[in-house]
Amino acid sequence: MKAGPRDCLTAGGGNITTVLALVALVGLGQAVKPSSSLAQAAPAPSPFAMPVPAAAHLLAITNATIMTASHGTIQRGTVIIRDGRIAEVGQNLQVPAGAQVIDGTGKYVIPGIIDAHSHTAIEAVNEGTKSVTAEVRIEDALRQDPISLYRELAGGVTSALVLHGSANTIGGQSITIKLRYGLPVDSMIFQGAPPGIKFALGENVRQTNVTVPAGQQRRFPYTRMGVEETLRDAFTRASEYRAKWTQYRADSTAWTHNRARTRGLEPLPPARDLELDPLVEVMEGKRQVHAHSYRSDEILMLMGVAHDFGFHVNDFTHVLEGYRVADELLASGSTASTFADMWAYKFEAYYATPYNAAILNERGVVVSVNSDSDERARRLYQEAAKGIHYGGMSEDDALKMITLNPARQLGISEHTGSIDVGKDADIAIFNGHPFAPSSRVEMTLIDGRVFFDRSTAPTLEYRMQQLRQRRPAAARAASGGVE
Amino acid sequence: MQRAWSRAATLCAALIVAFASPASAQEGTWALTNARIETVTHGVIERGTIVIRDGLIVAVAADAAVPADARVVDLTGRTVFPGIIDLTSSLGVADAAPPAGGRGAAAAAAPAGGPSAQSTERRFVGLEPERLVADELKPTEADISAARGVGITAVLTAPSRGAFRGRSALVPLRDSVGAREVIRSPVALHMGYQGTGGGFGGGGRAQYPGTLLGVIAYERQHFYDARRQAMLEDRYKISPRGTPRPPNDEALDALIPVVKGEMPVFFAAGNENEIRRALGIAHEFGIQMDIVGATEGFRALDALQAAKRPVIVSVDYPRAPDVTGWAYRSAQRLPPNDSARADSIGAAQLQGNAAALMRAGVKFALASGGRTADFLPNVRKAIAAGLPRDSALADLTIRPAEIAGVAEQLGSIETGKAADLVITDGDLLGDSAKVKMVFVDGIRYAVEPPPPPQAAGGGRGRFGRGGPGRGGAAPEMAQVAGTWDLTVQGSEGPTEATATLTQNGATFSGNMNSHLGSSDFTGGTIDGRHVTWSHSLVINGQSMTASWSGDIDGTHISGTVAAGEMGSFPFTGEKKP
Repeated sequence: MKAGPRDCLTAGGGNITTVLALVALVGLGQAVKPSSSLAQAAPAPSPFAMPVPAAAHLLAITNATIMTASHGTIQRGTVIIRDGRIAEVGQNLQVPAGAQVIDGTGKYVIPGIIDAHSHTAIEAVNEGTKSVTAEVRIEDALRQDPISLYRELAGGVTSALVLHGSANTIGGQSITIKLRYGLPVDSMIFQGAPPGIKFALGENVRQTNVTVPAGQQRRFPYTRMGVEETLRDAFTRASEYRAKWTQYRADSTAWTHNRARTRGLEPLPPARDLELDPLVEVMEGKRQVHAHSYRSDEILMLMGVAHDFGFHVNDFTHVLEGYRVADELLASGSTASTFADMWAYKFEAYYATPYNAAILNERGVVVSVNSDSDERARRLYQEAAKGIHYGGMSEDDALKMITLNPARQLGISEHTGSIDVGKDADIAIFNGHPFAPSSRVEMTLIDGRVFFDRSTAPTLEYRMQQLRQRRPAAARAASGGVE
Repeated sequence: MQRAWSRAATLCAALIVAFASPASAQEGTWALTNARIETVTHGVIERGTIVIRDGLIVAVAADAAVPADARVVDLTGRTVFPGIIDLTSSLGVADAAPPAGGRGAAAAAAPAGGPSAQSTERRFVGLEPERLVADELKPTEADISAARGVGITAVLTAPSRGAFRGRSALVPLRDSVGAREVIRSPVALHMGYQGTGGGFGGGGRAQYPGTLLGVIAYERQHFYDARRQAMLEDRYKISPRGTPRPPNDEALDALIPVVKGEMPVFFAAGNENEIRRALGIAHEFGIQMDIVGATEGFRALDALQAAKRPVIVSVDYPRAPDVTGWAYRSAQRLPPNDSARADSIGAAQLQGNAAALMRAGVKFALASGGRTADFLPNVRKAIAAGLPRDSALADLTIRPAEIAGVAEQLGSIETGKAADLVITDGDLLGDSAKVKMVFVDGIRYAVEPPPPPQAAGGGRGRFGRGGPGRGGAAPEMAQVAGTWDLTVQGSEGPTEATATLTQNGATFSGNMNSHLGSSDFTGGTIDGRHVTWSHSLVINGQSMTASWSGDIDGTHISGTVAAGEMGSFPFTGEKKP
């Protein structure tokens, strides 16, 4: 990559302290709400500080192969980014005066990758002490500084659904984040993303592989029958709880309008129950259900429970036997998020096929491939490419599995997931075709701000280059120009 | 010149100490004459007299009359300060049971707050807002006199772990302290983030809440429940006839003053995110919350300013791996020389925390963070990093008195306040200070000299290690060879590991074995009782280095293990016989 874009985008060749100082001067991006803690600007540069990218008001990526995920691939195209949003996309666009230019010659531009199943950047994953923990919130354990976020940015990931683990039949409330690494933790939250909750079925919640200390009780449930019962019990309690609140609201309104002396004390509201609140939201369609699942029978079971309690399962995740119930998934309006070719790592993952994603896609189910791992999240583009290898998906459909499809699943496709005018400028720039084995991410932008730039990344190559430059010119000359 | 004076003072101090009777406590009427008096609230009296009667200061002035019945102490050349008030103590309280699993399983198996089956003695798990520390104080005289030797005259004592730890008591550091002597109780409800352990394989052995996720949900639910309990009780009071009787629930009853804003919460929160999470809870429920710890307060200045509440700032500085952003910093692979420089910048920033809070206009008290022996040396570091000395003195005396609600009685040298005084040679906050004598409630206590610095170690003076009663002799080297059963208190519950160690002089090698696999290592080091070693392990497909650091006491070891970006965790262990 040429020197130009690097210099203008990350302000000073990757020197963290310079970047920090510059942020203090130019303020923060338009798309990200300025955080007061950053506006304070640390008095002294900290060696523990993470690099915070400067905001670009106007940016153009020129002469690149643009894979839009929504309307095909544009050869030698330009993306113009204004105030963090995509302003124009196409061929032969005029680069506006004053725009910072990233020369995309020979590069591939794709929408920022979205990981629909992640446990990244949290201090606790499983509150595994009960089978129903709907009251716990992943947001409470979110952190902004794990290095895995940076590594995921280096893999082109810009958004992720961070889920509770799968220890409990009903786990905790999920949070959708943008990987704004280096900003305070609250600025990582994806504003406008619908709230969600993790459900889990099968072996993990049955805990059949857990050794219980002598004299202590095994946790319920132990079988798939018990899992269904746990779900039905929780939603029965939630229904009753919801009815109590409905009654209270009616009583309260009547009491307010009743002017008689005999109206008595104000009606007592039901006790607030943080465990049941999110389940009521699920039944009212205000909270997405993300269901960890493997076997087709348990997928159908959960659909049945959902039908009986009037809610909808937003996505079945892992869903290795999804290919067996593709039509049922489609009919129920549920989506699927799976692995490309991971299977047989436990009994419930035996009846799997790497053709799962392609079959689901062919049947019209919105399907994504996810990481469920900080490591795999760095190479989701290779996981998507496997959709072409197994099952012959089109390049477009394979790309959608890590961009537009997860965006639709998570209810954020209004904001991100494709390179379309008006969407957030969440973009990954590759040095070659993203599905080619040797390609790698050169730059990752979120809201038009560069959160990863390989030319200034703290890689070994970069460090060595810095060290060489630090040698006095005389020493370099004395060694005959040998570095 | 400074050094020469300091040496003379040391010699002088040694002579005086040699003749002082150890731990002699004397009550009565006192006149401290010819003293330099730092009143904190009314400036400095360069040469004055303090008269003490019935435990109170009855006169402070340059020319105060000495009563006929007073015992006179001529303090020429000495300075009198108000006693230090440390708001982060666990003096005399039994701590919450260790997390569930392993040896602590029996404690956790008992229902929250309920008596355990084996014993009538109550077992605490850190979920007891109703716990009243004043009722169970059992401090040891050794702990009291160690703290007094530093210049502390009162401590706020509370259990140091748990989600709802209980309600604290402000205790004067008299030799025998029980509920009768407590200055104020309850002062605050103490809270934190520790669950009862248990993680993915909860499997019946762990008790809710096991993790940070559960703890925050548990705390929020209890505040909602307390609000409701308050409402039920209020309605019952208004019209007992026709109103269902609210249940008797001592835990919720203890939380009612908190949700009504009548009693503050002291919430233990160190790093940036911990501070922000706690203040989020305070905001949600309209709770008066003072953050305790705030070692990374400089990263959350906006939140602390907005809270408009004083902060109890610990000067027990975190180690680099516990600091926000460290993972990125270590990933930069800086060359060693740069790395050392970065470490010193990092240390300066952490030590400059108090100064940063002061510049931001956040009111705070300084507190030891539990490590009393290092308290003043750490305060000196804060001063060196930019905290004005006079502010620091106020932050150790009148500020904590205000926060604990006793500014009328304690915290400065004023007529009518309790005679809690520290008498020093030199500046209490200077490098060469010697605490000579302490008054608590007008009782005089001689101060025993701190143990001389250990001969080995190049004179860096690791004041914190060792503790009272040790030192002088060359430190004996720990014997590590053998098999150790270790229990790590991870974020998702306890994990067992086995270390098989072979010692060779001051180094050792061995094998680490746990459910994460087995790995051999070399290069472990032994420095007195302190041992360190590290080995690699693979977690979730990621390989990382686990760095162990612990202190050995016979067949017992305790310390912390840092595992890359996963953070660091406390561990304990026993050598197999």
